[in-house]
Amino acid sequence: MSTHVFNKTNIFIALQYLSARKKQSCLAAIGVLLGVTTFIVMINFMTGVNDFLDDAVFNGSPDIIISTKTKKQRDNKGLIISSVLENSNEIDKVLIENENVHSFAHQILTPAILISDRKQFPASINGVFSEKEKEMINLERRLVEGKGFQSISQENTILLGISLAKRLQVSVGDQIKMILPNGNNTNLKVSGIFSFGITTIDNVRTYISATTLQGLLNQKNGITNIHVKLKDRDDVSLKSTLVEEVNGIGVEDWKDSNKTIVIGNKVRDILTWSVSFALLLVAGFGIYNILTITVIQKRKDIAVLKTIGYSSNDIVFIFLVQAMIIGLIGALLGCVLGYSISYMISITSLDTSDFIIVETYPINFKMFYYILGFSFGILTTIFAGYFPSKKASRVDPVTIIRGI
Amino acid sequence: MILEARHIDKYFLEPEKRQVLKNISLVIPDGELVAIHGESGSGKSTLLYILSTLDTDFQGDLKIKDQNIKTLGASALTDFRNKHIGFVYQFHYLLPEFNVLQNVMLPAMKLSKKAKEEIIEDALGLLDEMGMREYAKRPAYQLSGGQQQRVAIARALINNPSLIIADEPTGNLDQKNSHLIFNLLKEITENKGKTVVIATHNSTMYRNSHKTIEMIDGSIRP
Ligand SMILES: Nc1ncnc2c1ncn2[C@@H]1O[C@H](COP(=O)(O)OP(=O)(O)O)[C@@H](O)[C@H]1O
Ligand SMILES: [Mg+2]
Repeated sequence: MSTHVFNKTNIFIALQYLSARKKQSCLAAIGVLLGVTTFIVMINFMTGVNDFLDDAVFNGSPDIIISTKTKKQRDNKGLIISSVLENSNEIDKVLIENENVHSFAHQILTPAILISDRKQFPASINGVFSEKEKEMINLERRLVEGKGFQSISQENTILLGISLAKRLQVSVGDQIKMILPNGNNTNLKVSGIFSFGITTIDNVRTYISATTLQGLLNQKNGITNIHVKLKDRDDVSLKSTLVEEVNGIGVEDWKDSNKTIVIGNKVRDILTWSVSFALLLVAGFGIYNILTITVIQKRKDIAVLKTIGYSSNDIVFIFLVQAMIIGLIGALLGCVLGYSISYMISITSLDTSDFIIVETYPINFKMFYYILGFSFGILTTIFAGYFPSKKASRVDPVTIIRGI
Repeated sequence: MILEARHIDKYFLEPEKRQVLKNISLVIPDGELVAIHGESGSGKSTLLYILSTLDTDFQGDLKIKDQNIKTLGASALTDFRNKHIGFVYQFHYLLPEFNVLQNVMLPAMKLSKKAKEEIIEDALGLLDEMGMREYAKRPAYQLSGGQQQRVAIARALINNPSLIIADEPTGNLDQKNSHLIFNLLKEITENKGKTVVIATHNSTMYRNSHKTIEMIDGSIRP
């Protein structure tokens, strides 16, 4: 006597019932397929965009930025310059003692006008200590041309964002002139061009050596900002520690500086999950319906199967297998179709928008999402198939046979 | 004795409590064709469902092949029925999704004691005996009532059970087919040594049985 319900005979019976209702079975499978496909395409696309933005923005900006509270100050000539952090030693001490600080770097930041042979544009000049700054930002990965931070340890070299370089019509090796708010100016050689893929960064950001900039601004050892990289980025308790212990400073964390992106990521996540869930729910209803109808129509057959020796568990299995085959086919095809559509999107070229600079849509191709989509599809069908199957197993043969 | 029933009472609670079987005791010896007859509503079907172990909700004792039915759990009972009891219904119910051969094979595939080839051979042999071999590959629903009933008998026999129970197996057939089915069932007892219990109100049928039991209003007429 076969005690396991998972056997050839039960599967044979299940297949026989499925093939007797090819149309409905196919429709139910298409329902699952649509759910799984949508889930995969959406999650590939949404997380692709999220990761792209995370990568571009969060890696292009530090986890925590410390500056003075009084943002602007006029120097003796009446020009606006960023104000200098008076208590940087105090801040450094807090940072060195804090457990969650991975590294930090001093910066001196100022606006300036950059002038090339043909054009002139305003820019944001980041005076950085290249050894420290390397730990903050992986500029090597962002380089389009030339060299990274190591090249600005020499004096009179500058790194430009790609959009700024394009607008100035300069490339690596060219000379440009920088005019600072205090009237000082100097000639700089472009030693590298980088791209974060975010227009607001690539349009204005430049890097030069901090000591050079300090000299030009007459601020020996003066800094305007401290950038901090955290070990655990989600733990921003450092922010309140700093505000408590040091007076007169402003502290901004990555969530503050990238509010719209953080919210955007959340919205995309919610969209992905809710739309996929809704579609799988509809697919689940499809399977539930077809099986419930089958069970009602096939009460007599179920009664006969029971009288000739098929147990309640056999009956549950026979019907659950039908649901699972529908789910399996739908989910597998859903993965294939999901991949195909994602691939098509990933090679679709994209007009560069004002906000981000990419050639094609950013798409994630993580195996995990396919496993997730597949599992959701199967789980939906098992869940939807369970109740009709249980109902089938409860058919009482005597009652039915009396009525035949 | 293949079957022994002692003091069987059966009540239906709906629509109101009513005793449908009253103190039924009977013994059925091996290798006989036993006919239970009586008026419609006298409790024949109810008794047969109990004797075939489909209905376990009764008072009294039932022994089949020396096995006390009441001691078996649900799945053991299903297995017991699969092995030892073949059932034929009035409406010769075959599964329409399967062909004739597959219908006959289903109980044996559940028993799974034999290889598939062997089961096919057995099934074809039985269909041959029932004069239905040439229909083996036909979908079940294409057969006439009499043909379906012959296939149902083949299905009841496939696991070589000792007991065949048939509830008005000819109730839906014309006279010629009724006669044919009855003779087939009789042959089963005479040639194969099986016990067949049928419910019928066809008088030629119960007169030609080895033993008859008459039911009147839920009791056996002494
Ligand atoms: N499920 C049921 N609920 C209540 N009464 C029933 C049920 N099934 C049968 N009966 C009643 O039990 C009696 C015996 O029925 P049955 O065994 O079918 O008689 P027979 O087969 O001899 O015609 C009848 O009066 C019938 O109305
Ligand atoms: Mg009856």
